[in-house]
Amino acid sequence: MDTATVLEKVSAALGRTGPLLEPPIPPAISEPLVRLVHSDIGLPELFARRAEENKMHVHACNVEDLMGHLIQFLHDSHCHKIALPVSKLLDGLDVLKHLVEAGFDATRWDQMTLDELYDYDCGVTDVTYAVAETGSLVIRGSANHGRSLSLVPPIHVAILEPRNFLPDLVDVFDRLGKDADPGNINFITGPSKTSDIEMNLVVGVHGPCRVQLFILQ
Amino acid sequence: MPSTLEHQSIDPHTQDFLNEAKASKFDFHSISIKAAGDERLKTAINSAVMRQYTGRQLQLLELPDSDGLRTLAGDIKGHTLDYLDYYLVQTKQSVERNGGHVHFARTGEEAKQIIFDIIDKADCKSCIKSKSMVSEEIELAHALEARGMDVVETDLGEFIVQIDHDKPSHLVSPIVHKDRASVGKSFSKYFGTPFTDDPEKLTKQARTYLRDKFRRADFGMTGANFVVAETGQVCVVENEGNARQSITTPRVLVSLIGIEKLVPRLADLAVMLKLLARSATGQPFTVYTNLFGGPRKAGEKDGPEEFHIVFLDNGRTEILGSEYRETLRCIRCGACLNACPVYRKIGGHAYGSVYPGPIGALITPLFQGLGNFKDLPQASSLCGACYEACPVKIDIPKHLINMRKDIVSQHLNSPIERAIYRVWAWALKSPFLYGTISGLQKFELRRRAKKTGWVKSVPFPGNGWTQIRDMPAPAVKTFHEVWKKRR
Repeated sequence: MDTATVLEKVSAALGRTGPLLEPPIPPAISEPLVRLVHSDIGLPELFARRAEENKMHVHACNVEDLMGHLIQFLHDSHCHKIALPVSKLLDGLDVLKHLVEAGFDATRWDQMTLDELYDYDCGVTDVTYAVAETGSLVIRGSANHGRSLSLVPPIHVAILEPRNFLPDLVDVFDRLGKDADPGNINFITGPSKTSDIEMNLVVGVHGPCRVQLFILQ
Repeated sequence: MPSTLEHQSIDPHTQDFLNEAKASKFDFHSISIKAAGDERLKTAINSAVMRQYTGRQLQLLELPDSDGLRTLAGDIKGHTLDYLDYYLVQTKQSVERNGGHVHFARTGEEAKQIIFDIIDKADCKSCIKSKSMVSEEIELAHALEARGMDVVETDLGEFIVQIDHDKPSHLVSPIVHKDRASVGKSFSKYFGTPFTDDPEKLTKQARTYLRDKFRRADFGMTGANFVVAETGQVCVVENEGNARQSITTPRVLVSLIGIEKLVPRLADLAVMLKLLARSATGQPFTVYTNLFGGPRKAGEKDGPEEFHIVFLDNGRTEILGSEYRETLRCIRCGACLNACPVYRKIGGHAYGSVYPGPIGALITPLFQGLGNFKDLPQASSLCGACYEACPVKIDIPKHLINMRKDIVSQHLNSPIERAIYRVWAWALKSPFLYGTISGLQKFELRRRAKKTGWVKSVPFPGNGWTQIRDMPAPAVKTFHEVWKKRR
């Protein structure tokens, strides 16, 4: 519709008749004011504490033990159909092959449709970043890593590597700002929850009911 | 189970308020008096918002300098508003670079028409809608339903509001006025299932029902918490995952956004997000913080194929050009509601619009005309708790006082009030008149307080004041008399 009119009204309200000649300079962001985590040391431990406060389940393990723990967890959680992204980390660890050998119905994102994903029990993914300040996972959606993998199945398992950790939200937005393509970014800080009914906390609304993290040491 | 949300009986409590609001012109006095007398409502609201209020205080302690951060957040929003023309153009360019479309709507009607056209062109039938104050403002869901679309509010609270044909009463916790029993009754009626008031079971019922809707919907609607001008990304925060569903699964996505929601840089989000959840619900961070912009890329199997932003003016440019520009900083966190002693007594419905509480008392008259809502700026004791709670430092009490001035200068107050003040002003100018009147007043008040030392009633127009409180008898000598003697 009529683009000019709203923009013209905005300019008029600000007392301008034409466009600005030079871009305005926004207020400087004072880092000491915004940053809460100042050190690079102990990030996985800080992250784990925050993540647990946010009702995620955290398990630290060695790479060699990962598959054993993962398979045990999936068994205990009665998961059968498992969805995975196409990922350097998961492919490198042969997660798909191990899961199939262990008897799970595991499928990679490139072999399924979005609609089929609704019938899966669990999504096992890697992450783009893990934020120690808030205990958040940051996942960038792509053709290889469907946005729905960490959303639609009732259980989400994420595998974190040491290189994923960032101290503060400030660092995340700094990194994201350097990417050429803004794309789709999801911050995940716990299982889906609500307090709408009489402020009673209920875990598991429209997203996963359980978020299980394996932190590789 | 009904497939669309056909008419159900409305929550009787809300019905009363709404009937009164609709019956004549908006009458804040009678609605608020009724609400303040409703013990069930008062208890429900008080316990809920006090929890969020204490949570907020605890969370702010985590910040090294929460006051400094609030100043910075206010400055960022203030700067964006001062250069909104520039940032809107920049946002449009960024969104288009990402492959999305940007529309501007002057009014709610224009916005709805733009959205209808998108729906018709893409032939969409079923809409999953996530919580958005702007869409409440223009009553978008009703308009879509009226055109035969299957529309479902997917936030649990908003879903309950929808099946009850109710109205939200809080910016963040829409059903803060309802108890679990009334939610249980609505669910049992709507789904035809046995009654339960267990929040866990009720949530599960809604989850199952809505999951099917998510799977089939072809049209997603969201609002926005922020839009980043430099990247063209929309930021939506939530706890349930329904907004994430709305932006991920349908093939067409529309975000309806007020023009004031912009921030210049991605880095600004670090500032805003550290304050938003802390101020709103007392969480350090929401469960889901979603950034999206543009349609899916080649090879992607999820995310919208088509993405639109509809920027809504609907009175915002008038506010932008007025002395009330600062009110457009609002990030709809609800902290001022939780902090407000008046809101805690009367709840959100009494404010008669989608924006309740102290900020609502300001922006509702600005959006819908001061003449229609002239009682709202009075709905505050000017205690300043709202200003203290505001993460972007909107000086709400100052603006409320200015608005009261507008009421007087535009002669919107009652003729009786004006007459009283005219007499008062006239009397104050003459020492003789002042002395005579205050002498008579003292005499009469002392006469009325003869028995107990307390004045229990006075004639009109002071009778409203003594209806609920007594006042001590005036001193034997007036201040003037004492002063004269001492000199």
